[in-house]
Amino acid sequence: MKVTEEELCRHSDSVNEQLARYGVKFGIYRNGEFHEQLFPFDVIPRVIGSGEFVYLERGLKQRVAALNAFLRDIYSDRKIIANGVIPEEFVFSGSGYLAQCDGVSPPGGVYSHISGIDLVQGKNGSWYVLEDNLRIPSGASYPMVARELCMRSIPSAFSDNLTEDNRNYPELLRKMMDYVNTGGHSVILTPGRFNAAYFEHSYFAERTGARLVTCEDLTVENDRLYFIDYSGKKEQVGAVYRRISDEYIDPVSFNRESLIGVPHIFDIYRKGNVALINAPGNGAADDKGIYYFVPRMVKYYLGEEAILQNAPTYLPYYEEDMKYVLAKFDSLVIKDVAEAGGYGVVFGSKLSAKEKADFMAMLKAEPRRFIAQEVIDFRDIDIYEGGIRVPRKADLRAFVLTGDEPVVWKSGLTRFSRNPDSFIVNSSQGGGFKDTWVMKD
Amino acid sequence: MSLDFERPAWEHSFKLRCFPSSDGRQKISGEHIKISPVHFSSSERDSFGNMCIYGTAKQVHTHFSVDVGGIAETDIHGVIPAESHKAAIFKYETPLTKAGVNIREFHRSLEPRGWMGEFERAVYVMGMLCDDFSYVSGSTGIATTAEEAFTMRRGVCQDYAQILLALCRLERIPCRYVAGMIPGEGATHAWTEIFDGGTWRGVDPTHNRACDDTYIKISAGRDAGDCAINQGVFYGGGRQTQTVRVVVSEVQPGKNSRP
Amino acid sequence: MSILSCGNSGRLFWLGRYTERVFTGIRALPGHSGMWTEAEAEKCFDGSNPESLYCSLMYAYDNAIVLRDEIGSDTFSYIQMAVYEMNSAKKSHAPMLNLQKVSDNIAAFWGMADDAISDENVRGIIKLGKRIERVDLYARGNAGNDEIRREVTRLTYRIEKTGLHYDPENLSALNELAENETIDRPEMIRKVESLVYFP
Repeated sequence: MKVTEEELCRHSDSVNEQLARYGVKFGIYRNGEFHEQLFPFDVIPRVIGSGEFVYLERGLKQRVAALNAFLRDIYSDRKIIANGVIPEEFVFSGSGYLAQCDGVSPPGGVYSHISGIDLVQGKNGSWYVLEDNLRIPSGASYPMVARELCMRSIPSAFSDNLTEDNRNYPELLRKMMDYVNTGGHSVILTPGRFNAAYFEHSYFAERTGARLVTCEDLTVENDRLYFIDYSGKKEQVGAVYRRISDEYIDPVSFNRESLIGVPHIFDIYRKGNVALINAPGNGAADDKGIYYFVPRMVKYYLGEEAILQNAPTYLPYYEEDMKYVLAKFDSLVIKDVAEAGGYGVVFGSKLSAKEKADFMAMLKAEPRRFIAQEVIDFRDIDIYEGGIRVPRKADLRAFVLTGDEPVVWKSGLTRFSRNPDSFIVNSSQGGGFKDTWVMKD
Repeated sequence: MSLDFERPAWEHSFKLRCFPSSDGRQKISGEHIKISPVHFSSSERDSFGNMCIYGTAKQVHTHFSVDVGGIAETDIHGVIPAESHKAAIFKYETPLTKAGVNIREFHRSLEPRGWMGEFERAVYVMGMLCDDFSYVSGSTGIATTAEEAFTMRRGVCQDYAQILLALCRLERIPCRYVAGMIPGEGATHAWTEIFDGGTWRGVDPTHNRACDDTYIKISAGRDAGDCAINQGVFYGGGRQTQTVRVVVSEVQPGKNSRP
Repeated sequence: MSILSCGNSGRLFWLGRYTERVFTGIRALPGHSGMWTEAEAEKCFDGSNPESLYCSLMYAYDNAIVLRDEIGSDTFSYIQMAVYEMNSAKKSHAPMLNLQKVSDNIAAFWGMADDAISDENVRGIIKLGKRIERVDLYARGNAGNDEIRREVTRLTYRIEKTGLHYDPENLSALNELAENETIDRPEMIRKVESLVYFP
């Protein structure tokens, strides 16, 4: 990287002005009211060297290939359970497993088309996977639009042409959608404007050329999905990048109160007449409990050792791990497997004696509900705040798109915590974001 | 089955699960199905193997009906084979069959019976449940959970079946909910199937007995939600009233009369 | 030609109408001649009054934000900037300066829409909304008959070019009304308001 961080910081305001101009926002509910706000952007990028990225890329492809193989297996023969690699109750008692998907093979054989893998880098430089997001991982639009606006505001930073261009994400998305499309248009199905990631839905639609639709624009007839245009003409749809969770996608198969779903879309998906991106039922593989087993999946399905490591994790479900967790409680972070978005996370050291006793009782009563992890000492990244640079915790969400084969996007969403004492980087909890620069060499 | 709407309904999407299929214990023939009104319809088997007909009635209507008829030949000695890896999912509770404090306490109060096989244990639990629970028509609804019904100590066949499921699942015995019919005139019936050495065996907790050749199965699933006769959405309509009328009568073998 | 949903055709139409309402509304402000009373400010910026210019612009924004993929981020950005300027105008001691920038952004929005949107229908529907709103506003305000006649002609030319459903009888009636020496303005408002319909 030729440009200095100081130089980038000097242009911080002009980039943020550009982001405001284009309405790069996310939605948030406060006291039951919807607000749009700018997603705080920090101009200092996370920089990943080419050698390091090659390593991450190999690891990510391998991990996502294994996760796809796992989903295929548990919705068909369940060999991994029969062979005793994963206890069945971790598969069947999680809320992410959808029995309605059993025996369904999705178009192109792909379950997790868009995988968002959250990683952190420890102080010693090694990377750890913290979480897999295989349902509706969001966030790729932000670094992409930030790159475009940085190039406009600070052209000198890119004149050496040493940074991989990350503005190809829509092309990758398009290619993947075309690969699984069963015939007809590709569309992006949004729950509507009052969704936290609405900017992203509309931006992807603009950049991929896939129509942005809501449930009112779609109808199922004669086992095919159609888009109805304003003159009443019907156009067949073969791929739906849906930003609606499984539960709400089809009111005659799942939650019947859903007003944002399309009746019978799941029925025709089962018949192979439309691709749903990502496939329903993926929650069975990105559960925090299942996470523990991902390195074993890699070994089981691919016959390889996992390249990327998990953060050291314990399952209180196993007696030995329970003993360890109770003994080392203060040094661990405990996570409720059913929660997401930075909620349901407890740092053992931060509890009072009473809270600790209560929590341990709950842990013993429902061991399956929790996982425990060593607290990783993240490598901090500087942010520019109030005219100075200060270190903050940051993670990296890498995006892997799978059509005929997994492709890793040469960038990623780097999220940071604005609070110096916090490890929680989620945008819903006030975090900001950075661009991620992958260097060419 | 029929639905009556208080006000006109349109764009009515439905998914019906009221079509008995042949299995090791019953052979279905001479089926006839009439759905009205309908704009388009199609059929599929769901992940539990149940026959579904789904579709849309676009036109404005205040009445929707489905009539199904046919002949079922049952065989009490027949077996319903199942693979244990497919049965495993039926070991785990669902929101409707989740055991709460009261079911757990009841379960603890039962005598230890470690010497029994899984099926015998299920039958034993069924007997204990029947001593402590009363059939009271209209006391519960379709969304009542096993725990809620058990707490009141009364309910209908759906509740008996789901409480038995909750109890068996505490012991990780694979078991499933069955919606079906028994001789006579009235509503559908519900019972429970227990996985036993590679086959599913029916027990009827409402009558505290094993299912015999008078039981005709419509569908099976993890709980009553998987076996809903109809799941539908529509515009307009207002309040809807669902009526289900079942008639099962015996026909002489060889005679081709419709029941 | 790409496909356009019924919902979006309506949103494009209203985007055209609301941008016109704000643009012509700003030109009609007495602030142009140097007077700016508290009552005027209220009428302009009151967020609880759906007739205020502030609300009209927010309605334009509400439509634009869900049309990003139809109109493009660049075209959208002018509406976004108009909103920022409107918010500044609300707090400003010289609100006309910021309102002028609101107008500038709306004019740029129209220009950009015309230039950058490749789909003829999408362009045409925004313009039709604008034309209808203008006839409506002129008939309500104190525009001269000749100005109204010119706007009715432009509207008639435009409406044929969109695929929207409209009532041809209403259109002829509108043209007849415009031909009369004295224009029946309330009747004209009724006709123009019921010209286009969305199924």
